[in-house]
Order: sequence, then structure tokens, then C-alpha cells
Amino acid sequence: MSVFIQQFINGLSIGSIYALMAVGYSLVYSILNFSNFAHGGVIMLGAYFGLYAVTLIGGMPFLGALIIAALLAGLVAVVLEKIAYRPLRKRNAPGLYFIISAMGASIFLENLVIVTIGPTFRTYPQMISREPFTFGSISISRIDVLMFVIAAISLVLLVFIIEKTKVGLAIRACSYSAKGSNLMGVNVNRIIFVIFLLGGMLAGVAGMLFGMKYTVYPQIGVITNKSFVAAVFGGLGSLPGAVIGSILLGLIETFGAGYIASNYRDLIAFSLLIVVLVIKPSGIMGKITEDKA
Amino acid sequence: MFSWFYIEGILILVGVNLMVVLGLSLLTGFTGLFSFGHAGFMAIGAYVSAICTLHYHMPFLVAMVLGAVVAMIMSFLIGYFTLGLKGDYFCIATLGFGESVRLIFDNLDFFGGARGLSSIPMVTTFEMVLVICFLAVVAMVLLIHSRHGRNMIAIREEELASQAIGINVFRYKMISFAISAAYAAIGGALYAHYLGYLQPLMFQLTKSTELTIMVIFGGLGSIGGSVIGAFFLTFIPELFRAFASWRLVFYGAAVILVMITRPQGLMGGMELTDVAKWAKRKLSGGKGKKGKKNEPPVLQEEGESA
Amino acid sequence: MKKLLSVLLVLILVFSMAACGSSGEEGAAEETGSDVIKVGWIGALTGDQAPWGTCESQALQMYIDQQNEAGGVLGKKLELVKYDTKGDANESVNAVKRLIANDKVCAILGPNASAAAIAIKGALNEGKVPDIATVATNPAITVNTDGSVNAFNFRVCFTDPYQGAVAGGYAADELGAKTAAVLYDVASDYSQGFTQFFVETFEAKGGKVVAQEGFKSGDTDFRPQLTKIKEADPDVILMPYFYKEVALSANQARDLGIDAILMGGDGWPSDTLFEMAGDAINGSYVVNHFDYNDPAASEVTAAYTEEYGTAPEINAYMVHDAFQVLIAAIEKAGSADSEAIAAALTQVEVAGVTGTIKLGEDTHDPVGKEAAIQQIVPSDSAADGYEYKFVMRYTPEN
Repeated sequence: MSVFIQQFINGLSIGSIYALMAVGYSLVYSILNFSNFAHGGVIMLGAYFGLYAVTLIGGMPFLGALIIAALLAGLVAVVLEKIAYRPLRKRNAPGLYFIISAMGASIFLENLVIVTIGPTFRTYPQMISREPFTFGSISISRIDVLMFVIAAISLVLLVFIIEKTKVGLAIRACSYSAKGSNLMGVNVNRIIFVIFLLGGMLAGVAGMLFGMKYTVYPQIGVITNKSFVAAVFGGLGSLPGAVIGSILLGLIETFGAGYIASNYRDLIAFSLLIVVLVIKPSGIMGKITEDKA
Repeated sequence: MFSWFYIEGILILVGVNLMVVLGLSLLTGFTGLFSFGHAGFMAIGAYVSAICTLHYHMPFLVAMVLGAVVAMIMSFLIGYFTLGLKGDYFCIATLGFGESVRLIFDNLDFFGGARGLSSIPMVTTFEMVLVICFLAVVAMVLLIHSRHGRNMIAIREEELASQAIGINVFRYKMISFAISAAYAAIGGALYAHYLGYLQPLMFQLTKSTELTIMVIFGGLGSIGGSVIGAFFLTFIPELFRAFASWRLVFYGAAVILVMITRPQGLMGGMELTDVAKWAKRKLSGGKGKKGKKNEPPVLQEEGESA
Repeated sequence: MKKLLSVLLVLILVFSMAACGSSGEEGAAEETGSDVIKVGWIGALTGDQAPWGTCESQALQMYIDQQNEAGGVLGKKLELVKYDTKGDANESVNAVKRLIANDKVCAILGPNASAAAIAIKGALNEGKVPDIATVATNPAITVNTDGSVNAFNFRVCFTDPYQGAVAGGYAADELGAKTAAVLYDVASDYSQGFTQFFVETFEAKGGKVVAQEGFKSGDTDFRPQLTKIKEADPDVILMPYFYKEVALSANQARDLGIDAILMGGDGWPSDTLFEMAGDAINGSYVVNHFDYNDPAASEVTAAYTEEYGTAPEINAYMVHDAFQVLIAAIEKAGSADSEAIAAALTQVEVAGVTGTIKLGEDTHDPVGKEAAIQQIVPSDSAADGYEYKFVMRYTPEN
């Protein structure tokens, strides 16, 4: 039983990292209806921003570094939107071009870091005690608890912005119909700016937490592929779906590795993805995915 | 200063890449689907054919065809479940497929596991690659200009409208996917029998994206473009070996640049024959600058474009 | 017009990318006087294996400079021609072909990746130029599955099976372990080979492998697997992979309250490992190629550190021995003819920093080379607080 509980905690911990990554991705999807594969690159940069904030500025507190990482990553996301997507949006280009452009951006960011900073991995100095909380034979690491709390706060903040503020209202309107909102006087460009800023900031937070929990290296973006899978699980474009999908994926992976076969961990996750898509093509909480012609 | 011994190897690689790029060109450039998993099909072609020649001593061509068949069957399986959905789901599914294929080969001792499959007969020759690539290009051109090819282009341009005029969208997407998988598998088979050694690590996600970049450079919707893309992007970095790390940085930037300035890529909807016609007109001093009528359909965008 | 411009732009980009790389390589090939012996090197200078490849090529350059200062070989100067393989197999084949056909090298050292070392076999056979691999430990590099030996492939390191057997034997015999668990990387040839032979040896000696869990390169969270291992409660846990994953998995294992002894191989040694996971790996045992505190090895460490300002990876020591074997073979052959060198490689015996190197005629692997067992212990002098303490030389008896 204690093994089961421990695996459950492991699953939650892995899932919550996916969730932080997947929400930013789903946020962009909900408005622009394309998979922003550059999100992984922004997350990776977030990890480096946090690392440099901590190591270069003496005495930088954890929260300060987190805010710096979030802001800088948000900035990168906004710039990226301006360079790689806005011209396409202006031309009303097909979705395929957005995906390709996003892929280019992710290749660019990853390799830019490899040539400038280097391919070797780096570690955050220890800011949180490594000593885990233990209950009998069950252990929960402190960083996991912290991550859970920060993930929850960020998500609540995001939901608050979307549900309670005027900008949020406009975001919701745009996700329903960007064209229609535009006609109603919503400045769509500004909304997309806000979306990328929020998505980028979440990426920064996710990146720094990931870096603290594990390590920092240029290929962090590869892990975010899992969060894309999680977002699809939950239903593309749905924020609660992204969170639920991520937690589910974390649990599935963990129990798959723990009780079926660890050497097929990813295969189990991908196979289940196909199963979900067959049963419910729009994911668990997906919005309507018909192309609006 | 470069000897044939060295150049030949690179040309064989151009051929291998060209096979996969042709398949991707059909899928992405002509049908409008984006795949992250073609390295997976390449791996299937490579491994299946290598096992056939190594363990069952089949002739290479038979093994190659078998590899292609297995890849097509796999593409039917993946496509059946995901091609009915929106493009992004297909994207993620191919991503998962590519990674899963690698994981399976890693785990199965029959295929050598992560330690790889060595002592594969090295039978791929330059002449063989040349003939196969030539046939592949011809077959692809014929396909594109057939009714089926035009239907695929129609789907890329306007999926809903195509459906409305009675094109079986799902079926054509499936055909396109299966053919592109077969092309990738043939590329993989040639690769396996050129290198003589296979390891799942050779078929990572980055392999898929690099091949896609070749298609994009050459031009979406152009066979000639794909040939040029495969040729240049395989050859140029090879000639200047020391330049390596910056290559992918430029690729990434260039992909964005191509998308925002000239999404048709280098050739963009034009074929080599069109270029020849254009050159001929220029030389003979003909008046007509643009032979718009002769151009096959270019990726059309809504709204005004330059 | 705009279209034409953008085409031009793309073209310029493509060619400028190419041009970036052209510097530094030209010219070297043509001016081959007969008073120069060319030695090739291939390995990863970019990509994720770059730290090892860079160290190896720098070290080799240093040894060649030293050799030239001491008068060269057969009265001729040595010249190094090196190419980046990015750790990729087919890049390696192209690089080897270029070394053979254009640069006309007499022998090639490297690469550090097993896949690359196996893939270049065909090119070496065609060009009849020998290659001495440094840290590529896959058995198939020198000996084929049917038992035949590859004529032009050699190496100076031990193989994965040997390393696995050493670890398994040492765990059973010297540590007295009854049960063992293995966490391994399913996507790594090194890890799979190591694991297989560890399990075989350990079980042959009466031990029991109670858990064998896999992960995939790129994974960062191993707790699902470790939780399972914890339940199996082994005496030792083998971690046969590279230091990034070692650091993560060792930390996570300790977090979960696992207190078994950890064991590893030559993928471990790195200063970063101590920095990241010093406390977690305190007391662990590592199978290595040699003893760092050996006077000959210390000399290499000092020379490299002085030249390049950082401590060397194990590649610097391995390539040292590969180079010494090559020099001895050239002298024995009496010429820089590549086939004569290939024949002489198995005829010489060299006292290297990693032990006495004698390449076997029917294996092309070093014969009777002992592994060094090291333990990670706290240190007052080392900057990271830990150091490798030499425990013993160990050979598993079969």
C-alpha cells in the first residue's frame, strides 16, 4: 500500500510539471488554434534565466529569481510572436505555416543556447533543503511541495485574469471567435500580446522550477513534448483540460512504469493517447475542433 | 581535391534523404499534413530490410519492398485513428509514433536493442541509389499530376470545400500518408545497407525535423524543390565540416524567414520544367514574362500577398 | 521583384551558412611533404558528446606537439587532421572517407561513440586504414557477431561485457552483495551491454538480481522505477549510464530513502557529478579504466590542466594510450604505410597510463587489462568535497 501511495505522489509530482508546461501551450492554442511548438524553447530559456538570476546576482532570493525568469520568458514569447507569427497572421496564412514557423523557432532557440552557452548541463545552487518530508516509508520532496503550491497559485491567478478581468473577457471572446471580437471592437493584436505574455511567463515559471528540481540543459524542450501530449489528452485549447490531462499523464506514466514495464514507459503513455483520441477525439475536455472555414 | 571515394558516400546520403524528403513533400507540401514521425518510418524500413537480408538472406530489393510494406501497414494504423481529426492531433500522434518506434527497437533484442544491429550486408551502391531515386521522382511526378494528386492538392487548399465536391478527404489523406511512409522506409532500407550498422539513436526526432526542413527549403508543393532541398542541405554542410554547431541555429532562423517571407520556399509551386521554360523564353527574348497559365497550383493564401 | 529578393535572401543564407565553416580547414590537405606523417582524429566536437570529444582532440593535439618536440617519429613530424562527427554515425563515415581519400592519413584515432566506431568499419576496410577507438566499448566494434575480427578496427579500452563482468564480480565477491538491482537506459548501447553482463556475472556468482528497471535517455524523473527498486530492497544498485542521469537518479534514490550501495562505470567520473550529487553518491563504487593517483596518470592530468586550464575527462588518458600504441606501431612498421601499421598494431606492447596495452591478434582489444575499482569518498582537499579513492585492481575470473 505504501508503495502505491508513493507512486501516486510520484505521479502527481511529474504531472504537476507537465501541467505548468501544458497550460501555457493550451492558452495559445485556445486563441490561435495552432500548436505552439516553440513553447518548449521558451521554457528552456526560462530555466536559464532563472539560473543566471540566481548565480549572477548575489543574494537573489528564490521568489525574485522566479519573477525575473517569468518576465524575461514572457518577453521572449512576445518577441517570438511578433517575429514568427504576426506576419503570418496578417496574411491569414494556413495553420500549417504556423506550425512550421513554431518548429523553426524551437530549433533556433535550442541550438542558439547550445552554441552560445554550451551543451553541458548546469545546476541551480541549492536553495531549498533536499531533506524530504517523510511519513513512514513515504517521502515527499520539498521542491515538489513548493512546485505544487506555485503551480496552483499561477493557475489560480491565470483563471482569475481570464474569468474576472476585462482583458480576460476579451480573451474569452477571442477564443470563441477572433474575427467576431474584432468586429465588436476588441483589439485582437493586444489580446494576442497578452496571451503570449501570460503563456511565456508560465513557461518561465515552469522552466525555473524544472531546472531546480532536475537540471538545466538545452534539450529541456524535449520534455515539453510530453506536455503537448498531456494537453491533447485533456483536450486542446481547454485550460482545465490541460491540467487534468497533465496530472493523468503523470499518473499513467508512473503506474505504467511501476506496475507494467518501466522500459516501455513512454509507449504506454502514447498508446493511451491514441485510445483517448479514438474514444473521444477532442480529448477529455476539448473544445470543438472543427476547422472554421 | 575531393576524390570520388568521398563524394560517392555523400551522394548516397543525398539519395537516402531525397527518398524521405519526397515522401514528406507529398504529405506536407501537397496534402498539407505535418509529420514529426517520419524518422520512425525510416527506422521501420531500415530495420525490417536489414533483418531480412541479414537473417533470412533475402535479396536486397525484396527486403526493401518488405520494409516499405510494413511501414505502410503502420501508417494505415496510425492514420486510421488520427487522420480524421484536426491536423494538430495528427502532429502529436506522429510525434508519439516516432518516439515509440525508437523505444520498441531499443527494447527488442531481436533487432539488436540499443546496442544496434551490425554486420548488415553493405550492398547499397551509388548506381542503385541513382536508379531508385530516379524512379521515385518519376513516380511522384506522375502521381501529383494524376487525378489523385490533384485531389490531394485540393485538400491542402480547402479541406471543407474538397469534401463538399465529393473528394473523400480521409481516403486521400490516408493514401498520401501511406505513400510517404513507404518512401521513407525505402530511404531507410538504402541507409541501412549503406552504413552496415543500425542503432535506434539514429532515428531521433531531430532527424524527422531536419528532413522536414529540407522540404520547406526546397519549397512546399514542388518536387523539383524537394530534390534541390535534399541535395543542398545534405551536401553543403558536408563540404564544410567544421561549420557544424551554427548550422541548426541558421536552419531554425531560416525556416521562420522562409515562412514569413516566402512560404513557397526556393521553388515554391514551380517545377524544374517551369524554370526551363522560363529560361527558354528569356533566351529567345519572348515577351511574356510570366507564364501563369503553365504553373501548377501554388499554395494560395487568403488575403492579399505580395 | 519582392519574390526575387526573398529568393536571393534565402540563397545568401544557405551559402553564408556554408561559408561559415570553410575557415581553418582549407590548405592543410595539399601541402603534404613526405616529411610529415598525418594522423586523423574523429569525434564529437559539437552535440551532446562534445565535452568528451573536445577534451580528447585537445589532449591528442598536446601529445602530438610533445612528440614533435621530441623529434617526431621515424624522423618525421606528425600532423593532426581532425573532423567533427557530432556524435553521429553517418557523419563519422563521411569524415573517415575524407580523412582517407583527401587527407591521406596513415591511421585514425577515435571516435568516442560506439555507433560511430562500428559504422566506419566499411570505410576503413575499403581504404585499408586502421582506426584505434578510445572509449568506444561496444564489443561489435572489433569482433563481429560471427566471431571474425574486423581487420582495421582496434581499441585501447575494455568492452561493455568486461566492465559489466567486473562490476558484477566485484559486487558479489568483494562487497558480498546477495541481491542487486539495475536501473538502466534502454536507449543507450553502453547501458544495455553493461547491464546484461553485470546480471550474468552477478547471478553466476550466486547473487540475485531483484529488479531491473529501464528509462529512456532524456528522462529526468526516475522515481517510479526507484520506488519499485526500493520495494525489492537490494544490497547494491547498479547505475550504468552517464553522470547527468546518475546525479539525478542518485539524488532521487536517496530522497526516497534508499540506502543501498550504488555502483557505476566509466560514465560516472566528472566533477559535475560531485557538485550535483556528492552526498548521494558518497561511498559508491566505480569501475574505471585506471587509477587517477597513478604517477603516470597524474602527469597527464597536470600537463593537460596546465595547457587548457581545466581538468581532463577520461578521454585524455585513453587517447594518450591509443597514441602511444600508434607511435610504437609506426616505429615497428618502419614506415607510415597504413597497412603495415595495421599489421604492427597487435605486435607492440606499450606501458600506457591506463596500464600495459597489448592488443590481441584475434580480438583487437587490449589483452589482460585490469579494471580499477574506485570508491567515492569525502575529501578535505578537493574543491567539490569528494574524490575517487583507489580501492583495488580487479579482474573477474571466469
